[in-house]
Amino acid sequence: MKDRIVFENVSKFYDEILGVNHLNLSIPPGITSLVGPNGSGKTTLMNLMTGLVKPSRGQIYVLGCRTDDPENLFKMVGYSTQFDAFPKGLTGFQFLYSYLQLSGRDSHTAEQLAWRAIERVNLRNDAGRNIAGYSKGMRQRIRLAQALAHDPKVLVLDEPLNGLDPLARSESIALFRAAAELGCYVIISSHILHEVDVISDQVILLSNGYVVAEGQIQTVRSEIQEHPTQILIRCTRPRELAAKVIESELASEIAIHNDGRGLLLKTRNSDNFYLALNELALNGIEIESVTPADDDVFSVYEYLIGNEEVVR
Amino acid sequence: MAIYRRSYKPYTGALTATWSRWLVLFRYARRNLFRSKVQTVLFTICFFYPLLCLGGIYLAHNLSFLAQIGVSGNLISIDNRFFFRLLAVQGVLAFLLTAFIGPGLISPDLANGALPLYFCRPFSRAEYIVGKSSVLAITLSQITWIPGLVLFAIQAGFAGPRWAWDNLWIAGSLILGSLIWIAILSLLAMALSAWVKWRIVAGALLLAVMFFGAGFGQAINAVLRIESGYFFNLGYLMAAVWTDLFRIESEQSLSAGDAWIALLVYCVICLGLLVRKVRAYEVVR
Amino acid sequence: MKSVWWRQLKAVMRLELKKTFFARRGLWIYLVALLPVLLFMAYATAVSRVQGRMADVARHGQKPLTYQDLLAVKQGMTNEEVIASVGKPASTVRWKVARTTGADASEDGVHERYNYSDGQQELYVEFVDGRAETVIVRDGNNLQRDSVMFAGVFQFFFLRLAIFFGCLGVFMNLFRGEILDRSLHFYFLAPIRREVLMAGKFLAGLIATSTIFVASEVLQTTAFLWAFHPNVRNLYLYHNHGLEHAAAYVGITVLACIGYGAFFLIAGMFFRNPIVPTAVILIWEGINPFLPAVLKQVSVIYYLKSLCPVDVPVPPGMPPLLALLISNPEPISEPVAVFGLLTVALVALYVSSLQVRRMEINYTTE
Repeated sequence: MKDRIVFENVSKFYDEILGVNHLNLSIPPGITSLVGPNGSGKTTLMNLMTGLVKPSRGQIYVLGCRTDDPENLFKMVGYSTQFDAFPKGLTGFQFLYSYLQLSGRDSHTAEQLAWRAIERVNLRNDAGRNIAGYSKGMRQRIRLAQALAHDPKVLVLDEPLNGLDPLARSESIALFRAAAELGCYVIISSHILHEVDVISDQVILLSNGYVVAEGQIQTVRSEIQEHPTQILIRCTRPRELAAKVIESELASEIAIHNDGRGLLLKTRNSDNFYLALNELALNGIEIESVTPADDDVFSVYEYLIGNEEVVR
Repeated sequence: MAIYRRSYKPYTGALTATWSRWLVLFRYARRNLFRSKVQTVLFTICFFYPLLCLGGIYLAHNLSFLAQIGVSGNLISIDNRFFFRLLAVQGVLAFLLTAFIGPGLISPDLANGALPLYFCRPFSRAEYIVGKSSVLAITLSQITWIPGLVLFAIQAGFAGPRWAWDNLWIAGSLILGSLIWIAILSLLAMALSAWVKWRIVAGALLLAVMFFGAGFGQAINAVLRIESGYFFNLGYLMAAVWTDLFRIESEQSLSAGDAWIALLVYCVICLGLLVRKVRAYEVVR
Repeated sequence: MKSVWWRQLKAVMRLELKKTFFARRGLWIYLVALLPVLLFMAYATAVSRVQGRMADVARHGQKPLTYQDLLAVKQGMTNEEVIASVGKPASTVRWKVARTTGADASEDGVHERYNYSDGQQELYVEFVDGRAETVIVRDGNNLQRDSVMFAGVFQFFFLRLAIFFGCLGVFMNLFRGEILDRSLHFYFLAPIRREVLMAGKFLAGLIATSTIFVASEVLQTTAFLWAFHPNVRNLYLYHNHGLEHAAAYVGITVLACIGYGAFFLIAGMFFRNPIVPTAVILIWEGINPFLPAVLKQVSVIYYLKSLCPVDVPVPPGMPPLLALLISNPEPISEPVAVFGLLTVALVALYVSSLQVRRMEINYTTE
């Protein structure tokens, strides 16, 4: 338990409104993404993990530490919240510096760590300005800096890429990856599924306060039996290949790609299909690529949570 | 379907009259008003005293009943003092109601950045202020001069047209006295609401202006041995105006004319604060 | 661990003091504290002018006068009799007023005013047609008497209103203000015990309010004493307990900040809207004399009243109920008052510490 973030049968109700219910999670190191529509409980889960709200039922342990012990919890947890408000009258540097002093660091250490965090988020030129005058992206970055400043073991980031330009996004993603490689637990919530797809080691899908699925994307996808696996094969002579696949009865649905140089098929038994593909591709059919077409977060999201409009 | 695929057409139907658009603010603010149980209860309590006065008017005109219970017929006298007391009590309740309603009028719009949303439409600052103040004005009217006029009419019905004609000035005093108090309270509440982004701070400030102002005024009079401290006491100023309107002899240290001027100055200051703060943009340095 | 707590406490206090002492939003507290200072500066100016005028009148009179000489002038005396008694006046004002004597007749009545002074009091005599019709002896400013006025302003304005509203604004916002600003979570996200956070915020509020209001009280006392002659001042300060009174007022100011601060800190945690607890505390403190003994003790003003060094007398003709509000018929001893107030404040702080541990961040309900 000391090497995991554990939720034991956790529920949270806001009066009669359900936040989350019956959460049982064990989050390993690496980048874990929380994915779900608005109101699914992502922020509630993060607030529970960081002790900002208390569970109505259940227990939460972050690397063995209870969440009602902020003095020890926040030595190893850094949380970048969704709240776009800051203490008034502070510059970016003062904000980080005072936060580090609140953590009990002496002034010299606090100053060093503050500048280091500012450098990491590329805000050196604006550190002396009042936060109230920052753009949305800059406020997001200073929030990130505040979460990172004390080198936490656990980083909880609520929509950390919100408001960032493409360059800042890729820099932030590199930052998260670097932290994960050092053994940190990085928990991110995001609506930008293609980025979640790229950076996450595992996902937790939430809907209406319940965990719908958790684990590595491919593992989750393989367990969704109701939706056949979609495979895109780029090849010469796709019609010929399609005819052979139909004969073999390994696919439930086949469609020729629009450009005529591939086919998209659905199969309920992808392992057998892959094994059979070698034989099917004999007789001069050149296969350029075989790619799972729905082995991503977007597809998993759509299958499990619904046909709500999502951002690709 | 993506928006660009839809064929977009602007609205071509009838538009509401420009002069009536401030009523939109009134409607929504009024609806929010009665969502609060505390405010609803307080609003209901504001009608207790007028009902008591109604009972008093009835008893004053049913002398046989009074005689039966052994009470002198002259116990309740329905005259200018009677209506002055009504206005005084309702005036206090109006202040309390304003302390609950007033702060929530402009502060939330400021705090949530809603002013640009209002003013990016064909909607002026004056209309905004009128719309917001109408909530207070109409609600406070319902507990001050309206029940006062109803009681006057009932009394006139009992006492006859001669009494009504001789005392018609009391009705005028009721209306004017109420309106000036409503104007002061509305402008003060809105000015404070516009100056602080937090509704609760605006409420506390309103209490402070009343109590602190009165206390400071008394301190000035005690220390400097003058009477000018009363200019800081809104309640005293209002009482001076009301005693003059209702033709009641009193030992007020300030003349009614001075009180009127002071109240006018307060109104101008509050209006100035409102004009300064109710803008479509806010510069943050 | 304890050195960490101490560093964290200082960090919280530094942050909070910056918001109160040096921020624009804290300006109103300075204004509240400054107003009584301005009042007593105006008093000092008025006293100086009155004393200057009386000295001038005394100097320009025909002969030096005593208080008994001034009292010797009575209504009905003629000009000559008054001049014979107290000499020619320093200044004379003469005017005529028409009065009706018959159906179509009128005549002018001659009015004169004579002004005398012994340096401490002034005598005004108004003659109508050569006879004294109005005789007024007006006291100048008397430090001993005016110290009672000072005590009245301290007890009824400075304590009950200035410090009350100042502490309301500072302490109520320590947590409630952070919630409204949506910035409280930054404190909760730091590895700091919530009790340390609460203590730091309370101490910062206390330092801010105590500094501002003690400074105000010292300046008020200075302004109050400024215009009097140094001999009169020293007599009051060193022989008539003036210095002790001044020290007592400073101590009471600090205790008031502690008491009201604890009350408003806890109110800010439990109530979203401060109007309700403010009104309740105002009324509770107001009706304190009428409460049973046990309930009386749950009040700040109950202890502070007993510590005030000067009793403010009840003005003549005041209704008994109002007289009860002003007087303090059952004062308690000073050690008990201080101990009681500190105990009440500590209990309030303890309850606050329990509440702060249970607080959750849920800005959407505000």
